[in-house]
Amino acid sequence: MPDPPDLAQQREEFEREASAASDRAAWEALRLKWLGRKRGIVRGLLSQLGGLPPDERKDFGQAVNRLKNSVEARLEELDASLSARERTASTQSAALDVTLPGRPPRVGTAHPVSLVVREIVEIFAGLGFSVAEGPEVEDDFHNFEALNFPPDHPAREEQDTFFLRDGRLLRTHTSPVQIRTMVDRDPPIRVICPGRVYRKDNDLRHSPMFHQIEGLAVGKGITFGDLKGTLEAFVHRLFSEETGVRLRPSYFPFTEPSAEVDITCPFCSGSGCRVCSDTGWMEILGSGMVNPRVLERCGIDPSVYTGFAFGLGIDRVAMIRFGIPNIRLLFDSDERVLRQVRG
Amino acid sequence: MRFSRSWLAEYVTLPESFEALANGLTGAGLAVEGSDHVGDDVLFEVDVTSNRADCMSHLGIAREVGALFGQTVEQPDLPTPGVIRIDANSWGSIEIEDPVGCPRYVGVVVRGIRVGTSPDWLKARLEAVGVRSINNVVDVTNFVLWEYGQPLHGFDADKLRGQKIVVRSARNGEALITLDGETRLLVPEILVIADGQEAVALAGIMGGRDSEVSEGTVNVLIESAHFQPTRVRNGAKALAMHTDASHRFERGSDPEACLEAALRAAGLIVDLCGGKLDPQVIDVRPDVTEPVEGEFSLEGLNAFAGVETDESFVVEHLGRLGFTLQRLFGDETAWNVQVPSWRRFDFEADPKGRVYPAYFYEEVLRMRGLDAIPSTLPAIEGPDPGLSLSHLRREELRNLLAACGLAETITYSFGSAGADSRFNGLAVGPPLELANALSEQYAFMQRSLLPNLVEGALYNLRRGAQSVQLFEFGHVFPASGSEVDSLGVILGGRLGSPWQRGLELDFFDLKGVLEMMARESGAELRFEPAALAGLIPGTAAEIHLARRGAADPVPIGYLGRVDEPESAVPLYAGEIRIEELGRGAPDEVTAPPRHPGVAVDLTLTHSLDTAWATLAVAIRELRPESLTDFEMTDRYCGEGVPAGAVNTTISFRYGAHDRSLTQDEVNEQHGRLAEALERRFKLGG
Repeated sequence: MPDPPDLAQQREEFEREASAASDRAAWEALRLKWLGRKRGIVRGLLSQLGGLPPDERKDFGQAVNRLKNSVEARLEELDASLSARERTASTQSAALDVTLPGRPPRVGTAHPVSLVVREIVEIFAGLGFSVAEGPEVEDDFHNFEALNFPPDHPAREEQDTFFLRDGRLLRTHTSPVQIRTMVDRDPPIRVICPGRVYRKDNDLRHSPMFHQIEGLAVGKGITFGDLKGTLEAFVHRLFSEETGVRLRPSYFPFTEPSAEVDITCPFCSGSGCRVCSDTGWMEILGSGMVNPRVLERCGIDPSVYTGFAFGLGIDRVAMIRFGIPNIRLLFDSDERVLRQVRG
Repeated sequence: MRFSRSWLAEYVTLPESFEALANGLTGAGLAVEGSDHVGDDVLFEVDVTSNRADCMSHLGIAREVGALFGQTVEQPDLPTPGVIRIDANSWGSIEIEDPVGCPRYVGVVVRGIRVGTSPDWLKARLEAVGVRSINNVVDVTNFVLWEYGQPLHGFDADKLRGQKIVVRSARNGEALITLDGETRLLVPEILVIADGQEAVALAGIMGGRDSEVSEGTVNVLIESAHFQPTRVRNGAKALAMHTDASHRFERGSDPEACLEAALRAAGLIVDLCGGKLDPQVIDVRPDVTEPVEGEFSLEGLNAFAGVETDESFVVEHLGRLGFTLQRLFGDETAWNVQVPSWRRFDFEADPKGRVYPAYFYEEVLRMRGLDAIPSTLPAIEGPDPGLSLSHLRREELRNLLAACGLAETITYSFGSAGADSRFNGLAVGPPLELANALSEQYAFMQRSLLPNLVEGALYNLRRGAQSVQLFEFGHVFPASGSEVDSLGVILGGRLGSPWQRGLELDFFDLKGVLEMMARESGAELRFEPAALAGLIPGTAAEIHLARRGAADPVPIGYLGRVDEPESAVPLYAGEIRIEELGRGAPDEVTAPPRHPGVAVDLTLTHSLDTAWATLAVAIRELRPESLTDFEMTDRYCGEGVPAGAVNTTISFRYGAHDRSLTQDEVNEQHGRLAEALERRFKLGG
C-alpha cells in the first residue's frame, strides 16, 4: 500500500533540507525541526494520529514511523560526515613547522682535564689502583729530598720551582703524593694521584699551572715487565689498541732504572707529521722502578719490596684527545670552548 | 749536546747507517734528538741526562757505542811524562787548601810555545760542536774538553805570581776579572784558583783575564783538576754563571781522567805550538779516592726484570762499559762489581756504602734494550681500599653540576694582591705569597675561588656571551694547616632566547643549585643574611649546615650578587667547602599515598620585610593535622599590591594515609590555617 501523499511530500522536503545542511548548526536545526521532542514535525505527525479514523490509524502510524526511521538514519549519516569534516579541520589547524629548532635542555660539561682524569682513574681502578691526593703547597722534603733529589742537584733546577715566602714551595710534580702514600701505608700499594702542579714557565706551550697524574705500585716481586705491561694496557685503553708503545732508558732521581715512554703519534699513526717532528713518536710519560733509596726513606725495605712509578701530563693528553691547539684555551674559562666537550 | 759523527769515528767503528747509530744510542738512554748532514759529517744532538756527565764527550759516547755494537775503543796517543811529582816541579808549586772542594789537581807545563791560529782540522772539530776558535792553545784545551769530557784551563805560567797555584775558598771582598771581561765580586762559597797573591780563576767555571794565554805567552801551565760537583754548582749559582766546564763539573767529572787529559793536551800543544813538555808533571791528590762497589746476581736481575739474561751478555757488556766484575766465591752468577771512575757519581749506595743492585740491572737492561722485556701485569694482592672519598665526592658533584647546565672551568691557583683581598674566601689567615712569582698578577695563592671565576665570567661577557654558568673545583690556601677543597659557582645573564623560553638567571638559581648539591650529598643548608666583602649589601648570605643549628658560628660557604661594575649583567657567585657536604647515603624510597590528597592555594599579602623563612616557621607551628606539605609557588609585587608589600602564593596539600579526606574536612582545617596566617601577617597589623 502506497504512502499517503502528504508524507511523500514531507520526505521530499526533508531530503531537500538535509542536502542543504552543510555545517553543524544547520544539522542541529534540521534535527530540531524534524525530531524535536516538542515541536518536531515527526512529533506533530504522531500527535495527529488520535484524530484519525481507527481504520486509517495503523497505516498512518506505520508511515510516520518509516519517515522517522529514515530521517534518523539520514541525520546519523550527516552527523558522521560532518564529524569527519570537523576532525580534518581541527588537525589542519594543529599543523607545525617541523623544521623550527627544537628546545634542547641546557646541559653542562666537565672540563677536558677532568674528563681525562676520570678516564684514567677508571682504567687504573680496573687494574686495582685507588686514588690518592695531596696538598699543592709542599715542603722540600716531600717534593725533592725524599724523591732523591739531593740539595743543589742539577735535576732540581730543571723543574723551575715556585717558592713561597715562608720557605715552602708549590709542588713541581704529583710525586710527593707517592711519598705521603708510602710513608702512611704498608705495601702492597697501588695508587693513582691526579692533581695540579706548578712550574715557573709561561709561553705558548707551557702554563705555570698544569696537571699531572702519577701512578705507584709497590709490592713483593713487582718487575720491570709489570711496569711495561701496565703502561701498555693503559695506553691501549686511553688511545687505541693499535697505538705503539716504546720505552727508552732515561734518568729521574726517584726511579732506577728510569724510562721515558713514547707512543706512536696519534695524529699520523706513526708515519711522521709536523706534530711529532716527523719522528712518528710522541713522548707522553716518565716512568721507572722506584729507586731503592726512595723506598728506604719511606721506611720500606728495598731488599724485600720493589715497585714502579709513572707520571704523565694530563693537559697534553686532553689537548690531543680533544684537538685543542693551545694550552691556554684550557684555562681561560671560555664557555665556547668548554661547552664543546662531551665526556 | 752536540756531537760529530766523523769525530766519533776516530775512536770506534760505527755502524754503517747513521740511523742504526741513532737508534742504538736512543735505546741505551742517550736520546738522539736531531741530526744535520754537513759535508761528509753528521752533526747530531743527544739529550744527555744530568747523571751522565761521562757522556758529555766524544770518547764517552764512543764507549757506549763500543759496548752496544761490540767494538773496541781506540784511545788517543799520549806523551809519556818523565816524573810525577806530588807538589812542585821546576816551574813552581801547587797547593790544595780545600781537598774536599778539590780532591785532585794536575798541572803540566809546556815551555817555549808559539801562540797562533789553529790548523783547519782543529777549527773544524770545534766548529762542529759550536765552539769558536780563539788560538791554538785555548783551542787544544777546548778540544780535549769535547774529547775526554775533562775541562782544562791554560794559564800563562809567567803571569802566575810567586810561581804558585793555591786552590782555596775566595776571600770576602776579593774580585776577579774573568775571561769574558766581567768583574766578579767573590764570596767564600766560591772555590778559586789563586797564584801567590790573589784569585786568578774561578775553579771549574772560568779563567781570569790577567793570566790567560795570549799572543805573547811562551810557557803554559795546563790545569786538569777534579772539583766537587756541589762546590762548583754553588759557585756558579752565586755568580749566576753557566759554562761548558761548570756544566760538566756540576754533574760529576771523572777524577781518574785528570792526568790523561792533561797529557793529551800537552801532546797536542807540543805538536801544534812547538815547545817542550816539562817532564815533571805535578799531580796533587791529598786523599785516595775509594772505589764505588756493589754486588749483584743474575738471579736478582732476572727477578727484577721479568726476563732471563745470559751470564755472558752481562760479562761482555758491563766489561765494555768499564765495570770490573769479580765472581763471588762459590757462585758462578753473582759478582762484586766495581763502578768505573767516570760513573761514580751516578751510582748510589745504600746506608752500608754498597751500590744498590738496581743500578747494575739498569746497565744490563739498557744494553739489551727495553724492547726485550716482555709485558706482564702485576699480581693484585691485598685489600682494595677503593677510590678516595674526596675524589668520589668531587666526581658526583661534577656530574650533578653539569646536569644542572653549568660548565666546569679550571683557572690558576694564584692571583694578584687586589684579587686576593676582594672576597672573604674560605681560607683563614694572611695569604701565602710567592717569593719568585712570574708577575704581580700571579703573586698570591688564592684564598677564594671567586676572583678568578669572576674574571672567567667577564672573559665570556666581553666576547658577547648573553649568560655565564661556570663552576670550578680547587684548593684554597690558608696561611697554615690543610688546604681547603672548595667549589665555586658563578652565574648570571639571560639564559636562552624567547623561543627557548629564556629566563634571567638570579640569586635563586644559584641558591637552588647549591641546595640541590647539598641534598644529593645528604646535607641540608641554612642561609643567613650577612654583609660580605665583594658582594652587594642585602644580596649576600652565609651558608651553614642546617644540622649544626642556629648557633653554628662557622659558615661552610657564602653566596651573593658580585659587586662588579664591569659586568653588563648581574653576576651571582658562591663558594662552599665540599668536604663539609659528605656523601649522602642512598635515600630510602617512600611509597606514594594510596589516597590522593587535596591541594589548596593561598595568596597572602604581607610586608616585604617578612622573610619567607618566617612564614614557613609560622606554617610549621600552626601545622593542621592533615597538612602533608606546602610550597611557595609564586611571588608578585606590582599593580594591585600596596607599596612595600608582596603577594606570596603558597600551595598546601592535605591528605591522610588511610582514607580520602572529605572536602569539608579540608575546608575546615585550611580555613583555620588561612585565617591564622592572615591575622598574623596582615599589612599594618
